[in-house]
Amino acid sequence: MKVLLSWLRDFVDVPGEPEDIASTMSLRGFAVEGLERLDNDDAVIDFEVTGNRPDCMSVSGMAREVATAFGLQVRRPAVATNLRRAREEGPALHLASLKTVDRADIDVVIENPDLCPRYAGAVADVTIGPSPEWMQARLRAAGVRPTSTIVDITNYVLLELGQPMHAFDHARVGGSQIRVRTAQPGETLNTLDGKRRELSPEMLVIADADHAVAVAGVMGGADSEVTETTRTIVFESAHFAPLSVRRTSKALGLKTEASMRFERGTDPRLPLTAMERACALLEMIGAGASRGTVVDRYPVRVEPKVLKLRKARIAGLLGVAIADAEVRRVLEALGFALREVEAGWDVTVPTRRVDVSREVDLIEEIARHCGFDRIPATFPPLAVAPPPVDPRILRARQLRALAMAQGFSEAVTFGFTSAPAAEAFVTDEAVVPIKNPLSEAFAVLRPSLLPGLVESAGRNIRRGQRDVQLFEIGNRFTQQGGETQAIAFIWTGVGRAPHWSERTRETDFFDASSLVSTIVDAFDAFALLQPLGAPPSFLVAGQAAEVVADAKDSPDSTARARCRVGLVGRLTPAVGESLGLPAEVPAYVGELAIQPLATFLRASLKATAPPRVPSVDRDISILLDDTTAAQSVRDTVRAIALPHLVSLREFDRYAGKGIPEGKVSLSLRLTFRAPDRTLTDAEVQSAMDRVLSTLRDTHGAIQR
Amino acid sequence: MSETASDRSTIDALRADFQVRLAAAGSDAAVKAIADEFLSRKSGSVTGLMKTLGTLAPDARREFGALVNALKQEIETAVEERRLALAAVRPPADAVDVTLPPRVRPVGRVHPLMQVRQQVEDIFAHMGYEILEGPEVEDDFHNFEALNMPPDHPARDMQDTLYLESPIAGATWGAHKGRTPDAQVRAATLLRTHTSAMQIRYMKTFPPPVRIIVPGRVYRRDNLDLTHTPNFQQFEGLVVGEGVTMADLKGTFEAMLTALFGDVKIRLRPSFFPYTEPSAEVDISCHKCAGVGCAICKQTGWLEILGSGMVHPAVFEAVGYDPDRVTGFAFGMGIERVAMLKYGVEDIRLFYENDVRFLEQFPAL
Repeated sequence: MKVLLSWLRDFVDVPGEPEDIASTMSLRGFAVEGLERLDNDDAVIDFEVTGNRPDCMSVSGMAREVATAFGLQVRRPAVATNLRRAREEGPALHLASLKTVDRADIDVVIENPDLCPRYAGAVADVTIGPSPEWMQARLRAAGVRPTSTIVDITNYVLLELGQPMHAFDHARVGGSQIRVRTAQPGETLNTLDGKRRELSPEMLVIADADHAVAVAGVMGGADSEVTETTRTIVFESAHFAPLSVRRTSKALGLKTEASMRFERGTDPRLPLTAMERACALLEMIGAGASRGTVVDRYPVRVEPKVLKLRKARIAGLLGVAIADAEVRRVLEALGFALREVEAGWDVTVPTRRVDVSREVDLIEEIARHCGFDRIPATFPPLAVAPPPVDPRILRARQLRALAMAQGFSEAVTFGFTSAPAAEAFVTDEAVVPIKNPLSEAFAVLRPSLLPGLVESAGRNIRRGQRDVQLFEIGNRFTQQGGETQAIAFIWTGVGRAPHWSERTRETDFFDASSLVSTIVDAFDAFALLQPLGAPPSFLVAGQAAEVVADAKDSPDSTARARCRVGLVGRLTPAVGESLGLPAEVPAYVGELAIQPLATFLRASLKATAPPRVPSVDRDISILLDDTTAAQSVRDTVRAIALPHLVSLREFDRYAGKGIPEGKVSLSLRLTFRAPDRTLTDAEVQSAMDRVLSTLRDTHGAIQR
Repeated sequence: MSETASDRSTIDALRADFQVRLAAAGSDAAVKAIADEFLSRKSGSVTGLMKTLGTLAPDARREFGALVNALKQEIETAVEERRLALAAVRPPADAVDVTLPPRVRPVGRVHPLMQVRQQVEDIFAHMGYEILEGPEVEDDFHNFEALNMPPDHPARDMQDTLYLESPIAGATWGAHKGRTPDAQVRAATLLRTHTSAMQIRYMKTFPPPVRIIVPGRVYRRDNLDLTHTPNFQQFEGLVVGEGVTMADLKGTFEAMLTALFGDVKIRLRPSFFPYTEPSAEVDISCHKCAGVGCAICKQTGWLEILGSGMVHPAVFEAVGYDPDRVTGFAFGMGIERVAMLKYGVEDIRLFYENDVRFLEQFPAL
């Protein structure tokens, strides 16, 4: 709301520099968006008026706030007898004297009093031309382009008092009748902006005896527009229901100075005063004269609310005691009327204050004008013991530390992505489209954290950072699975930091699976990687695995069901390229769901002392078909259920010179231990014999 | 005799030359080269003097021969001493050059937004706040209606909302204290525009007193520019109890904001949010110019940091709390905003690019 200082001073004699006024008001709830000093010692202050204060979308409204802030009186417009003589006075706050009649040169019928509680119409004889310079200057200062006398007057009243007005060419109002009604099915109207509007039956219109001539509270019609040839006009000054105007304005995609005020709520008591002001201005600028009458239909009278204000509640909410006299001073300055009652006041709320409907709203007014700086700084008492942190948050923190220690930096990417990117990262679930997306790039919710990570890695590579390790913890979305928390990572370029002592190598599957197994292990579970014959399109076949978490063997483990927790593998170069990651840079990715992993964490742990009996290691090397999975060898040995086998580890795998085509040499280290004694050679040897014979029978393994 | 004198000076010159050269020899090889130069049978300079003895008269031969022999022994002793001295400081065979670069196992970085988030969480955890998360996909009731923004409320325009084509499967959310805060997402059809939605879930499940912090991601239909991203991170705070006042709100912010920014002053300005009354914008004195006025604070000396207020009674009524019995305050703070001010970042998009050179500026600890 741009307020011209001299206009403001018509209403209140506020002293001081505009900067001082601006800074004072910015601490009273009106942030200052701009301040422009004009040549003639005047200034324009641009106040931000919050959506709850339509009463301040006017010079007089701001004047009331300024007066309250500075402890001054506001002047109110008053009826003047000889308006033509007042012409020399410029913009003095005169009102015309109008006689309220039931029917004059215009008839007004309100068919929907719920949508239009009040409508005033007055007829005036006018001459159309430019308005005087002072009026044009004020309009321009407020950001409104001057056009001609009548339109300028309606805009002037809107800016000055906050009452939107409209003027019709009386000759174009059929039957000299104003009907406030809802639109008929199929009815159309050409609005002032030159567009043809299809109206619907929920929309309130102003009509003459036959047709709609304006969209109520939004915009007038072109057919009844005041033109250079207009000789007689009908001024409209009305009150419309905010919700109706808001819906109509939204439905038509049409926002005007009038609709913005009506949809927030105008003062139902203002239309008549505004009419008197408009008619006064008409004479003051020599643009014509009213016929001295007004038809003021007000079928649903809006009575001011009366609210209880309890003294104890003021201090109870603000934490500071405010003297009774100060409460009274602030509220009365703002136009509230106070009546002392037991322990407080009954407060009558001016009808313009649509934002004040409860006691707490009155307390805000008091706090606002007494100053928030009066409120001391205290600390709320802690009444109950604080509960522990949400495990989701705790888990995210721990994973963050873990991934960081593994060399990964954390990324934060957007929660949405493009539809093609999303489709590449889902298998059997449906992606979640956004109804009103900002752009194609943000068309769906991310079904996986990976598209964002791939994009981020690609951006780094294109900027010359080829070796990238990034992870993200966040939520992802599918239609069936809803919203789930996950950790995902990407690893591009070299598998370990280059060092002068050794050759570098590119990252590979086992770098990726190492982070997977570290994370799963951190949840006290064990990661089984299962080859994916037909992986989703973002993973390369032959280098893709499903991650299955299983409970570790431990004495007190209550058997948790093994479950699938995610995927790991090499990123399909074409998918990477579509997200900006150059195909020639190898990239490995993985993503794990956190919720199912968290079920493996045990609520209580029982520690055991480390064994004191020495263990015995035995190494064997066997020849196998090179298609035999390491996991199946491990499973075979475990299936024998040897009593004292405590671990089994592959420590070498070799194919090539000295090994037959299609075969591979696998070296295993088996560790045996009994809890209470040292095992004998014979015992271990017989166990090893069983291992070898079982491997021979199951896999055709030959000992080397 | 004159011959002897000149030969004596030859010996002195040789000795002096030897001493300087030996002192500069830093390796066995260099020492050996010097020893050879003076003493080798074929070409040693001392050996050469020996060979001239035969040409001298017997007296002179005896006298000069003694001098040359003395020099020879002196050189042999010095060479041996030098050898031993060098051996004493020679590194062992398995010595390494410790100044070569280490074999680095790189450590990653926590994202600056998450560093700020963790810092704020810790500040509030120490003040006894419960920290929890809520769903990002919300329903109209929790995001708007219960927060005193019924359908058609103009304030809904303040937060341009992203909607889903169709509702997604609801999730159980934030199981906590053995209970789930109002887990049912009714028709999860919009992306929450603020973390305030979780206030409602929490209060609908648990009776007062309440003291919670809800960090998380929120979404608005804002185009990318220097200060806007279509999703960003926020903190919601809510304190409800008997006798909670606006003074408590102020004291809490002073504690939190000085912990975050150091010795700053705070200022409350009246504002408007539908779910708080009174509402306040909170400013901190500009930490760059100490309130004098600079480019960062646009010469005002103040920086807007969060929105807050006393919980609106209509919100209490929507969740079944008695507004005559309890009062409370709520606030929302943008994590990006804090990070931008703290780290002097002028383009919010840097946080979402994830350029490793940007991330690596923030220490791992």
